[in-house]
Amino acid sequence: MIRYLGRRLWQMIPILFGVSLGIFAFIHALPGDPARLLAGPEASGQDVAAMRARLGLDRPLVYQYLYFVRNAAAGDFGRSFRSGEPVVRILATHFVPTLVLSAASITLAVCAGLGVGILQGIRRNSVPDYLSTVVSVAGISTPTFFLGLLLIYLFSVDLHWLPTGGMGAGLRSLVLPAVTLAAEPAAALARFTRSSLLEVLGEDFVRTARAKGAGERRVLARHSLRNALIPVVTLLGLQVGFLISGAIVVETVFSWPGLGWLMIQSIAFRDYPVLTAEILLFAVEFLVINLAVDLLYAALDPRVTYA
Amino acid sequence: MRRMLGVAVVLVIVGYVLGAPARMPAGAQGARTVTAALYADAISLDPEDTNDNLSLSIEREVYDGLLGFTPEMKIRPELATSWEASKDARVFTFHLRRGVKFHDGTPFNAEAVKLNFDRARDSTHKLKKYSLYEMIASVDAVDDATVRFTLRAPFGAMLYNFAHPGSRIISPAAIKQGESYIARHPVGTGPFKFVSWAPGQEVVLERNPDYWESGQPKVDRIVFKLVPEDASRVAMLLSGDAQFVFPVPGVQVDAVSKASGVSVQRRWSIYAYYVALNTQHVPFNTVAVRQALNYAVDKPALIKVVLRGTARPLDAPITPGVTGYSPVQAGGWPYDVAKAKALLSEGGFPNGFTSTLWLGVQTETQRVGEALQQMLSKVGVTLRLTPMEAGTLSAIRFKPFNENQSQMNLSGWSPSTGDADWGLRPHFDTESWPPTLFNLAFYKNPKVDALLHDALATADQPRRDRDYAEAMRTIWNDAPWIFLYNSQILAGERSSVTGVYALPDGTVDLRQASLTGK
Repeated sequence: MIRYLGRRLWQMIPILFGVSLGIFAFIHALPGDPARLLAGPEASGQDVAAMRARLGLDRPLVYQYLYFVRNAAAGDFGRSFRSGEPVVRILATHFVPTLVLSAASITLAVCAGLGVGILQGIRRNSVPDYLSTVVSVAGISTPTFFLGLLLIYLFSVDLHWLPTGGMGAGLRSLVLPAVTLAAEPAAALARFTRSSLLEVLGEDFVRTARAKGAGERRVLARHSLRNALIPVVTLLGLQVGFLISGAIVVETVFSWPGLGWLMIQSIAFRDYPVLTAEILLFAVEFLVINLAVDLLYAALDPRVTYA
Repeated sequence: MRRMLGVAVVLVIVGYVLGAPARMPAGAQGARTVTAALYADAISLDPEDTNDNLSLSIEREVYDGLLGFTPEMKIRPELATSWEASKDARVFTFHLRRGVKFHDGTPFNAEAVKLNFDRARDSTHKLKKYSLYEMIASVDAVDDATVRFTLRAPFGAMLYNFAHPGSRIISPAAIKQGESYIARHPVGTGPFKFVSWAPGQEVVLERNPDYWESGQPKVDRIVFKLVPEDASRVAMLLSGDAQFVFPVPGVQVDAVSKASGVSVQRRWSIYAYYVALNTQHVPFNTVAVRQALNYAVDKPALIKVVLRGTARPLDAPITPGVTGYSPVQAGGWPYDVAKAKALLSEGGFPNGFTSTLWLGVQTETQRVGEALQQMLSKVGVTLRLTPMEAGTLSAIRFKPFNENQSQMNLSGWSPSTGDADWGLRPHFDTESWPPTLFNLAFYKNPKVDALLHDALATADQPRRDRDYAEAMRTIWNDAPWIFLYNSQILAGERSSVTGVYALPDGTVDLRQASLTGK
């Protein structure tokens, strides 16, 4: 297992190299001139040329890429075109809010989604089951933007219970964005867990366990859940991946200064250094999550071992 | 055991969450604070390296310039108490206020002014606002309280450059610490001192107790919060989390006006919106066609339906409030479909034609584009709309003439100096063809060029006014643009504050903020 882990980690390096090359080529092929965007709407052609020189964009592309790789290997991802701040510091300041929001949303989504899904699986075709289905479908269908604003107007403007946005009020600021962000994954997890559990509960080995006299709780906990969760873990991995990339809509609506918001801004301003580093960060995150999911399979499914 | 621990953890978290209101940060209680929610974050707080309205707005509270703007964009003295301009608009002399200190204790004097302008006009620094200063040949500290600027060539609009929010005076001690220091730690002579900037979140300023203007400032703290989403910003105003928000989108003006304790500030901006027609290509190389398009657009209807009444038709290529403005056609270009059709026939297009309109992706912009599409179809002109995000749009629009595929361009412009020169020359001078400046119509008229250059070369305002009036009449009749509308600046304020302004150039001014106690 350790060797497997080591091999997976080692494989990340060439993957990230390839990703960085791809990102670089793609970003520079995009229409839009960072020099013009940063020089501003009142900049003359001369101002734009001066800005281009200032940003180092007048050097040949190959040279720019090699310069980037050399510095990146040493941990220096350059400075933002827009603010001049070191990219690493910018990513760090925006990473923490995204991490906090993602952690809170995932926790909520898993608790609510799995909990409801399991309850539905046990008590299928009952009134709670049908009600939960309605709520789940609503959760998947409601646009995040709309839900977020709805919650703000209800809990901030009308009731004054919670702040309208930003990170300033500690945990109270986290409530609405986390709930908004957790809605869709929770609903998806609930639906998925329900069907997965129902499928497992119909399997032969479950019938055997019941025939041998196991109580319903033991059947569930010892025999069914672990198997039911295997496909759910796949879905969860994907959801976590997307959440970690920054939930752009939620961050915008709640003025939450995370990676999603940073991404939107960097694209709008063609802030190449920040964009490149951020996409690389997402690539690393996805690779790590995939690894974690694979390891979870090994933990859940006794048939799976890694050499 | 484990279950009890879990329950305990949950109880602690719940208690923390509910107890939050009791843990206000020290000093916030009792401090008179104004919270303003703005639509974007500042980029840099170095005024000589700034060209976005947000950074300029925040800099305005921390810095003073030699001159400044009133909320109506009139020039007012700040660090200069009086000034003289030579008749040929080449030499400008300022008499400075005495006894002023920067926030870090450095004294303000002519040397400090010289240092600032020498820094800004040094092309090796490549500062963004360089073009405001490049015409300065030399800056002389005549004595401790007098500064003289000598320009390379006459520039009649120079006073406006000094009032521009980019022309602020930075502490010499801060300048010595370098560009990246100033960008994050502004030190000026203004009514508020810089406290902190959490990028992407907020900028906090506190009162400068030694400010030179007596009775100011009237509050202890200003907090600028970044709230990019329109609806969230309005929610902050309605809930009281912010006392001043900018901007309020046109579609929410009614809702906000009706709410209690809240009002909408409406001020005419100096933004002019237009469609530039590529005058060097068929079909827009015929003046009859261009005039026809102007007749074909029903501006009052556009304003009423799409803009919810927050605009008025343009009656000149620039707007009221800009120095040198005079109306060319009162009420704007009239709406006359029959005349439009007649002119199109006269121009050689009795059955109309097809064209492409390039525009941005904002909701309001797209609705204006759709309205234009509908109106022009009535005279036989089929419009294809191509919305593009800002980066792509600017890259494609400002290509040099040989590569430029513009047909029609929907755009807006405000001359941030408040002067007609910067309102007209970048759009109508032959030298301003892209990529040099923004003459998207590729308009070329030597008579207009001569008038614009004559007005620039003198400080004699009546002469400048005459030049601009004649230039604007010529431009209007030549119709290189479809002249659309002049918009309003919309900001929201609570009745608990006053003295907070959204200015016609799109920046905000909170220097005179005070709490009413309501």
